[in-house]
Amino acid sequence: MPITILQPSLAPPPKPRNDDASDSDSEGGADLEGDIAMGRPAKRARTQDSSIMTPGEIITDDPQWMRGHGTYVIPGAQSNTILSSVAGTLAKTNKLLSVRPLRARYTPEIGDLVVGRIVEVQAKRWRVDVGGTLLAQLPLSAINLPGGIQRRRTETDELQIRTFFSEGELLVAEVQQLYNDGAAVLHTRSLKYGKLRNGVFMSVAGVGGGGGVVRARRQAFTLDISGTDEVSGSEKIDVVLGVNGYIWISKHIEGEGAAAESSGPGITRIEESVGLNVYSSQNDIIPVDTMREIARVRGVITALVENGLRVDEEMVIKGYQEAVEMAKEEPDSADTLWLGGERGKRLTNALVGR
Amino acid sequence: MPREAEPSQNEKDFVLKAVREGHRLDARALDQFRPLDLKFGDQYGVADVTLGKTRILAKVTAEVTVPYTDRPFDGIFTITTELSPMASPAFEVNRPTETEVLLSRLLEKTVRRSNALDTESLCLVAGQKCWSIRVDLHVLSHDGNLIDASCLAVVAALRHFRKPDTSIEGDTLTVYTPAEREPVPLSWLHSPFCITFSFFGTVSVGEDEEKDIWLLDTTRLEEQLRVSSCTISMNKHGEICQVAKPGGAPVEAVTVLQCSNLALQKVKDLSDFVDQKLAEDSKRRNKGGLLAELSAENAR
Amino acid sequence: MPLDTSTYNLALLRVDGRRWNELRDQRGQMGVQPSADGSAYLQMGNTKIQAIVAGPNERDASKTNSSASTAATAGGLGATVAVGITVAPFATVDRKRRGRNDKRLQEMQTTLAAALAAAVQGQAYGPRSTIHVSLHVLSQDGSLLAALVNAASLALVDAGVPMTDYLVACTAGSTSSYAAADEAADPLLDLNTQEEQELPFLTLATLGASDKVVAMVCESRVQLARLEGMMATAADGCKGVRDFLDRVVREKGEIMVQEGAVGRGEVVSSMDLD
Repeated sequence: MPITILQPSLAPPPKPRNDDASDSDSEGGADLEGDIAMGRPAKRARTQDSSIMTPGEIITDDPQWMRGHGTYVIPGAQSNTILSSVAGTLAKTNKLLSVRPLRARYTPEIGDLVVGRIVEVQAKRWRVDVGGTLLAQLPLSAINLPGGIQRRRTETDELQIRTFFSEGELLVAEVQQLYNDGAAVLHTRSLKYGKLRNGVFMSVAGVGGGGGVVRARRQAFTLDISGTDEVSGSEKIDVVLGVNGYIWISKHIEGEGAAAESSGPGITRIEESVGLNVYSSQNDIIPVDTMREIARVRGVITALVENGLRVDEEMVIKGYQEAVEMAKEEPDSADTLWLGGERGKRLTNALVGR
Repeated sequence: MPREAEPSQNEKDFVLKAVREGHRLDARALDQFRPLDLKFGDQYGVADVTLGKTRILAKVTAEVTVPYTDRPFDGIFTITTELSPMASPAFEVNRPTETEVLLSRLLEKTVRRSNALDTESLCLVAGQKCWSIRVDLHVLSHDGNLIDASCLAVVAALRHFRKPDTSIEGDTLTVYTPAEREPVPLSWLHSPFCITFSFFGTVSVGEDEEKDIWLLDTTRLEEQLRVSSCTISMNKHGEICQVAKPGGAPVEAVTVLQCSNLALQKVKDLSDFVDQKLAEDSKRRNKGGLLAELSAENAR
Repeated sequence: MPLDTSTYNLALLRVDGRRWNELRDQRGQMGVQPSADGSAYLQMGNTKIQAIVAGPNERDASKTNSSASTAATAGGLGATVAVGITVAPFATVDRKRRGRNDKRLQEMQTTLAAALAAAVQGQAYGPRSTIHVSLHVLSQDGSLLAALVNAASLALVDAGVPMTDYLVACTAGSTSSYAAADEAADPLLDLNTQEEQELPFLTLATLGASDKVVAMVCESRVQLARLEGMMATAADGCKGVRDFLDRVVREKGEIMVQEGAVGRGEVVSSMDLD
């Protein structure tokens, strides 16, 4: 490659460094963008004017604070300096400092309602993918037996463990207990929980990342779809928003499903209501109208996630109503179910009033 | 894959505490090598290195082949390493472990890429005939510090090696047997040696100051416990041929610089050691020297 | 193609017009792959890397693809970091297909896995979980290892994996080759392919802006006396890269706060003494 050298001139004098944050001597120093003087922000001093914490950033060196999730102290050092270990926003709970990551995988907490998928069947338990850092466990003793019988689990139950749940099947469960390494133990000992059928699964994995399922008072609810013109009769849809970002949308069956909590019977009548078909893997007949509305709900949730909005009962219900309205406005259009791109933006803008 | 047994927690704590206080299990100083021995075989190009309980054999062979088409003026120089189950149960035949890949890459960078052997001198007829020099490295016993010992074995074996003399007259290439003409040494440019530093975390010295602790020539037990390592390859002229600190716990930059200065001293020692052993060996082979050869006296 | 490096002394400008302490143009983006747990795209000059993080999840690293990735354990009893590198055939000029068993790539994977494991606080996850980092080299123009480290670092931040600090890396070279024992040789920062082929250089990875060396790789012959200058230059480059990555993360975070995707952060001040 020929190199043309124009008039050789004297070497330029060393450029004055405008970066007083760097402790390097005049020999060193890296310039990011050539000659453009860019006031590179002093890393340590930014805590005040930016609400974002990044890994390695000092949060405080005041000894009154305690460190929570997303923070660390330098081991062995005598100082009380608390540093951030993830990128996110700072949260204070009394004297506890924690950093909520912008995006992370689900970390189970006791009492969470989760939707999971069986990935492995072992002798006395199932291993369930709940989107966390480790697989969750579902012991054989933590499920309801068909017919609601209360008894010890015998070897016969262990041998036919696959008749309850087998690989790839979906279930809704509650986190009962946590191990030291963060792995969860689930249970389905309630009428609200159990095997999922008659619907569709979707995943809006993780927390943060612009949207996702948030922990709320109610994670499972029933949507009335009789408001739409096309639906005859009073059909309903069950929506289960797993805290882990896994979502189940299905046809509502009276007295069954996760949303039946309020009307559910007490423990005394459990035998009568836990039917013999709770572990059935067979779908019921679902009317086309219901299927279409299930798909519409799915579209609404996808639009919420794509546009960085939280997914909870209120947003889904409002979003669904808005989507129905949007469909009514253009009755000729065939693809009113599709809520991606521009339509998704219009929907979410209407929701948040932008 | 059979894995090496991990040392127990008590054992770990014991060794680490001792190291932090400046003691090693075999009573060596922190920067002291184990007893090093180098033996040459009866054939040219065989070196047997013993470093404590680590033992490594290197054998050099040469043959005439066709050079690679993209490098018609260069000879071929390869180093192959073999970690057999003989050295440690963690090694398996025909499946290179991570240790083996790292070892062969390090030797390659240290000896081959630094041009220790002048590959151009191996060319006989440009594009048609050249020498192919191959070093086979066998780990006979593995008790830590494979890299330093292997590098020493490779360098010693190559410097000890003699390849048959050749001549070209017109279109004919003649390779002489050792009886016809004395074999000639390889064209050797410089002798690089590897020095591996193993780090064991920090101890605090005075207020707010921390010092990294490092060991030289670690045994296998120490190697299992180290938090990171840094291998520096140098020749005695103070030229760095390669530095590799493949991840692991962080170490102050100043420590790395101190280590590189110390490595130079150690490399000079190793270099003198190999020179001395080579001189002894040539004296042994050449009993009586030139006079004996010139003497017409018949042994009969 | 031989490169005439002797011109450097005349104008103190390098082949691409930079001075000795200038980094190349850098661009970075987080979250380029919506389906992944974390992802990043990083460009250092013409070296372009796409990094994808899957996990941490419970999947055996050795089971899934033994030769394609190399694993290292983070922080004693913590999670495992598995790294796989793919070089696209079109990444270099000579369009060469690399085998899975390329020892150079394997060595790089090992170095990366061990280096990332040093920065990741894996204790939070337990020994059974694995963080899979898969790196795709889209275009290659020098400082490959350094760019891989930086891209992986950014992707791990995007995945919300706790780290002590950013793991950042940079290369530094020396203006004259080993033949001339010229003590006046200048160090150079952030080399491109042409310079890498011509000059001795090293890659240095540090933990954030500190002088703590996590990984260091030098594959060329260089005088011992020049090591210090090269390391100091590279460490300064690392500071620059850290600031750059930090800016990318903050910009992304601020946008997310504005959109309301994450809650606004609170500020710790000494007045909160109630």
